Amino acid sequence: MNMQTRIEDSDMQAPRHAAQWAPLQQKIRRTIVDLAATPTGCHIGGSLSVADILLAAFACSDREQGDEVILSKGHAAAGLYAVMYHLGELADDPVASYGAKGSILTGHPNHKIPGVRFSTGSLGHGVAYAVGWALARKMKGDLRRALVVAGDGELQEGLCWEAFQLASAQQLGNFVMVVDRNGGQNDGAVADISPLNRLDLRLQGFGFCVVELDGHDVQAMVDVIRAHDHHGGQPLAIIANTVKGKGVPAIENNPSCHYAVLRPALAHKWKEAVV
Amino acid sequence: MSLAGRIAYRDELTRLAQEHPGIVCLEADLGGAKHPFQEAFPDRFFNLGIAEAAAIDCATAMAFSGYTPFFSTFAPFAVLRAAESIKLSLGYMVANVKIVAPYAGVAGGWFGTTHHCLEDLAVVQAFPGVRILAPYGEEETREMVRLMATTDGPFYMRLGRNGAYASIEGRRDEHGITWQHEEGRTADSLCVVSVGEMGTVAALAACEQRSDIVHAHLCQLDQAALSQAAAVLAGRFRAVLVVEEHRPMGGIGAALALLMPTCQVYSFNCGQAWPGTGGSHEEVLASLGFSSEALLDRIAQITAEPLGSASNQASLTKSEELTCIS
Repeated sequence: MNMQTRIEDSDMQAPRHAAQWAPLQQKIRRTIVDLAATPTGCHIGGSLSVADILLAAFACSDREQGDEVILSKGHAAAGLYAVMYHLGELADDPVASYGAKGSILTGHPNHKIPGVRFSTGSLGHGVAYAVGWALARKMKGDLRRALVVAGDGELQEGLCWEAFQLASAQQLGNFVMVVDRNGGQNDGAVADISPLNRLDLRLQGFGFCVVELDGHDVQAMVDVIRAHDHHGGQPLAIIANTVKGKGVPAIENNPSCHYAVLRPALAHKWKEAVV
Repeated sequence: MSLAGRIAYRDELTRLAQEHPGIVCLEADLGGAKHPFQEAFPDRFFNLGIAEAAAIDCATAMAFSGYTPFFSTFAPFAVLRAAESIKLSLGYMVANVKIVAPYAGVAGGWFGTTHHCLEDLAVVQAFPGVRILAPYGEEETREMVRLMATTDGPFYMRLGRNGAYASIEGRRDEHGITWQHEEGRTADSLCVVSVGEMGTVAALAACEQRSDIVHAHLCQLDQAALSQAAAVLAGRFRAVLVVEEHRPMGGIGAALALLMPTCQVYSFNCGQAWPGTGGSHEEVLASLGFSSEALLDRIAQITAEPLGSASNQASLTKSEELTCIS
């Protein structure tokens, strides 16, 4: 299916103003709310925080040519499915089958879903898969990009830091990580549980080029990713400051919105309020 | 003069890489300073550092990009430290990754328990779809490296350390079982099933002392291969004794017992003690009750009564409950 199937405005590859992304962002957020209203519910807070990052990631990537996008924080599968659906990467509305008996659309993404190459959800692995992908593309000589989206809580996993070390050691300029820094994790705030103080300096210490920006500014992320010299030897880390529950006023910045199973009436109300 | 398994692996892989440009060789800082693959193909060799889980995940992505990655590090680190990566990548995602793991069992000798791995077969067997190999001797090791290089799909191969062995002389059947001392044996003969390097060493020594037993050497140990082997073994013998440098839990003896409910399966293994003392490979094994002499005692115990007799089964079942080495 063509990537532009459900995009109403112009070519994904063309420069756009931030405001032009808004209609697509709203559609994606409403689908995420719908997914939270399915019988299984979903990780709604993190899905809403990461959706704009994923939108930018897909917009920057030509996967037919060898770019790869990996959602390492796999618990935000609802966000991934919503973005893929509205970009035409998923043929059918995920709301119809998400989490249901026999459906491949599991609560964490798996490699049996068309367009998803790696099963993720056990945190940290996606970062290492991305390093391997970048290394392979470097070997092939085409230097296509591996773009991984990780959570800030996820960075508590030691595997992430093994992978950073590798990305740096192998001088993978075609490795891009976007950290969805929404400040939350399952049991509370990252800052209260195991803080990631001076994440920018930590990543710089690994030799990464580090950019901090608004993780809901899709165009800003697209611009930074495209501007990065992926032929050079410096991996790129984007610290994307986001809001858990973004776009749904009732749950924005509410730590308890990590996972939700919504009643249909409440979902309707939240969808009406999506910004 | 035969080469040790891990040396034969490196040499064979380097040779294969000439004709298979997709082969890449990954190490986690335990491949040695002058790795022949690195010297021959520096652009396809990566020492990824001391990061086993990340290495297997990287290998997974490289496999999905069309390469055939071989990753080697010591068995305790490959299997136990990176178990989840093996489960997800080689098992669930069926990545075309080959793991080659020397230092299996207590091959590390005086290095101590941190460097031993008597649990690898139990762990890897639990992940469906991963083919498991435990070759004995240089020729079989080379053959299995070639099998991995030319067969799409995930593999785990366990090796020892520096032990170097000549090939077993015997008949290789269509299921990959190597047979010795078959002539004149009947269903009432005890079949000693050897697994891995030291299991095979012990079995070969026992066969020299006992002219009444059959020796069957298994190299391929995953569920599919064991199912085929079990059908053959159960069709020929009332009782088999599996000899393996592994714990009883999750070992090949346990697997065959489930696959052969009508056949009495005995196990000679390394028990449940922690190998915490120094010594050579053989000395550490002996401290666990695993030696050729102990194996002969075990065989004598089993064959003291007719195989399959009620008294035999009762006494041996009791014995196996009492001692891990049984």
